[in-house]
Amino acid sequence: MEHRIKQKKRKINIQRALAPYLFVFPNFIIFFIFVVIPAAYGLYFSFTNYDGLSEEEFVGITNYVKLFSDSDFWDTMLRTAIYSGIVVPTIYVFALGIAILLIKEIRFKGIFRAIIYWPTMISFIVVGVTWKWIFGDTFGIINYLMELGGQKGIPWLSESFYATLVVIVATLWSRIGFFMVIFISGLQSIPSEFYEAANIDGAKKWQMFTQITLPLLKPTSVMVIMLAIIDSFKAYPLIVSLTGGGPGRATTYLVQYIYRFGFEKNQLGYASAMSVILFLIILITTSIQFKVNKGGEI
Amino acid sequence: MAKKSLVVLLILALSIAMFSGCGKEETGENVSTGTDTSSQEGTTNDGNSNSADNEKEDVKLDILWFADGVETEAMQNVMDNYKVENPHVEFNMIEVAYSDLDSKLKTMIAGGTPPAIARVTNPGLLFDHAQDLSEFMGGYDTFTEQYMDSLEPYYTKDGGVYAVPMDVTANGLIYNKTLFDQAGVDVPGSPEEVWTWEEFEQAVIEVKENSDARYGLLWDVTSHRWSTLLYEFGGSIINEAGDGPAINNEQGVAAMNYFKKLHDTDVIPKSVWLGGENPNNLFRSGTAVAHLSGNWMLSNYRDITDFDWGVTYAPKQATRSSVPGGKYMMPFKNTGVEEEAMKFLEYFAKAENTGQYCSDSLFISPRLDNSELDYEYGKEMFAIFSNELANTPPAAAKDWSRQDIMPVVNPDITDAIKDVLMGEAEAQEALDKVAQLITETIEAQ
Repeated sequence: MEHRIKQKKRKINIQRALAPYLFVFPNFIIFFIFVVIPAAYGLYFSFTNYDGLSEEEFVGITNYVKLFSDSDFWDTMLRTAIYSGIVVPTIYVFALGIAILLIKEIRFKGIFRAIIYWPTMISFIVVGVTWKWIFGDTFGIINYLMELGGQKGIPWLSESFYATLVVIVATLWSRIGFFMVIFISGLQSIPSEFYEAANIDGAKKWQMFTQITLPLLKPTSVMVIMLAIIDSFKAYPLIVSLTGGGPGRATTYLVQYIYRFGFEKNQLGYASAMSVILFLIILITTSIQFKVNKGGEI
Repeated sequence: MAKKSLVVLLILALSIAMFSGCGKEETGENVSTGTDTSSQEGTTNDGNSNSADNEKEDVKLDILWFADGVETEAMQNVMDNYKVENPHVEFNMIEVAYSDLDSKLKTMIAGGTPPAIARVTNPGLLFDHAQDLSEFMGGYDTFTEQYMDSLEPYYTKDGGVYAVPMDVTANGLIYNKTLFDQAGVDVPGSPEEVWTWEEFEQAVIEVKENSDARYGLLWDVTSHRWSTLLYEFGGSIINEAGDGPAINNEQGVAAMNYFKKLHDTDVIPKSVWLGGENPNNLFRSGTAVAHLSGNWMLSNYRDITDFDWGVTYAPKQATRSSVPGGKYMMPFKNTGVEEEAMKFLEYFAKAENTGQYCSDSLFISPRLDNSELDYEYGKEMFAIFSNELANTPPAAAKDWSRQDIMPVVNPDITDAIKDVLMGEAEAQEALDKVAQLITETIEAQ
């Protein structure tokens, strides 16, 4: 009798231990097949001169050597870093700000949240094309309205400054909702007792924000910033459908640059090397961030 | 109770949506980015009828296709006629935007599922994957004799025939008659009156200032179209001997600088080359003075009713020039239907069928026996295009038929032009970079 109970207990223990892995297993399989294996292929191709059609030849680190002296690649890297450097803090500030506003008990907060979240559900390509119709030089609505008002239209997409601006605006519009939702859940998890206690102690709003909200929001903040950085380095469909990388190369960022080499110039080996470098950069950035913030522990 | 019926209604609506979507076979992608200029947004097509033949096994031919105008219908007429004698063949036209053609085709080949036939403009890149037609068509000489000489390097290599020419194109100048009339400016009426670039530049400025025009000259965003200017300036991409670059010589730099000048003075609007605006749409809006494009746009612009347009002689500098181009139907290996694909191409290659296709689509036929096609529209325009081709220096055909070089350097030439227009590089610098690439490409052979 005791033996049976012990066996059953062990079985349950094993099942308990296995359960989490079984839950993760399906996702892991999909992740492995569709992400890990292609990535491994990419790593392999980066050491060859594969052109997408014929047999590849192993060329060792030639691609990487060529990469380090390719000034266009590093220019593109700089442009992407600037884009990221502007987009990430702006998303953080706006998403947090909007989340704080929409946490309060105002009348239409549900509708407002939906309106701000809605753009996240629209495909990037649709977002890009839509903003192109708004900001287009010749057929754009904004220039049309400006001309109706007697002003000359602005070359939104033909000058690098404006094109970058338009790309940033479109990115913010389509991504803030997503991070707002994350912040809302982070804010809601802060116990209200802290605010009540602070109120009794006579703390001002700003003090409550910097001493209670921000520190307790740290895990959420770390996640938001990490995701935003990764997203911005991988930015592609929105920008390509909005500006095509133009004017010239002003809004050509890393992924588009890699795509051009891989699929337009048929240099898949070189493109793979570039994507390996991109992967390493994102990996290092994220690891540093993780370490500095102690994994988001408060 | 209400909730239940709502749920049932929702499920019903979803199922209807799902099954109606199942009706059509969706196979094509149609995203066109801003820089795509020589194609239309197409819809996918089911080009099949019932295959009732029982003697031969039913065969499905995938045709990877793109279109600029109405040639899709013209081709479907050819296919329908073919199916009368061959009802066991089913055609599946996979239509894509021209700018997506290359990547779509390469993905299909690399993925092991090449289409039976593809309509291509750069056959040279794909010879290794194409089916050799020479034997099937009765021998190399027998076949190639029927077509224009200048096309030979495009679709043949080392005694093999790898594609069938479909149509020949010529670059040329399309202009907005209504705007020219409003401004009271004339266009050259005959080859003897062809204007110089300076005269043409003045004409464009005059028309722009004295009519409802808002934009000057539109220019397609491709190095092929830009090279028209290069040849008119007396330059070329590859040198005479064919063993090195010539694009960075004095004439090349002069052509590039002139192109930049036209942009800086707003004779050409910057929004096309730099802002990704589609010149076809701009011309259709009736607010642009002219469009440096080619004869493939005739069937596209045919339905324009808000204004009058026409074709006139392109300006000359050191010489007149157009640039020849062409489209080819290429059969692929490892499709399992090579035989049937070749049979269809043989049918298409017949004089009456190619001729019919070209006259329906308003294209120039590549066949020597089709020189007098009965176009139901635009006969005079075709005469001008043929005249342009006849006055084109040999360098143009020699350069672009170099299928071993041009597909590789083509995107870099476009990049160089954009860099110069943006002011990020001087003409000489940008062209030297291209010349370097040409040298490397030739050496790598």
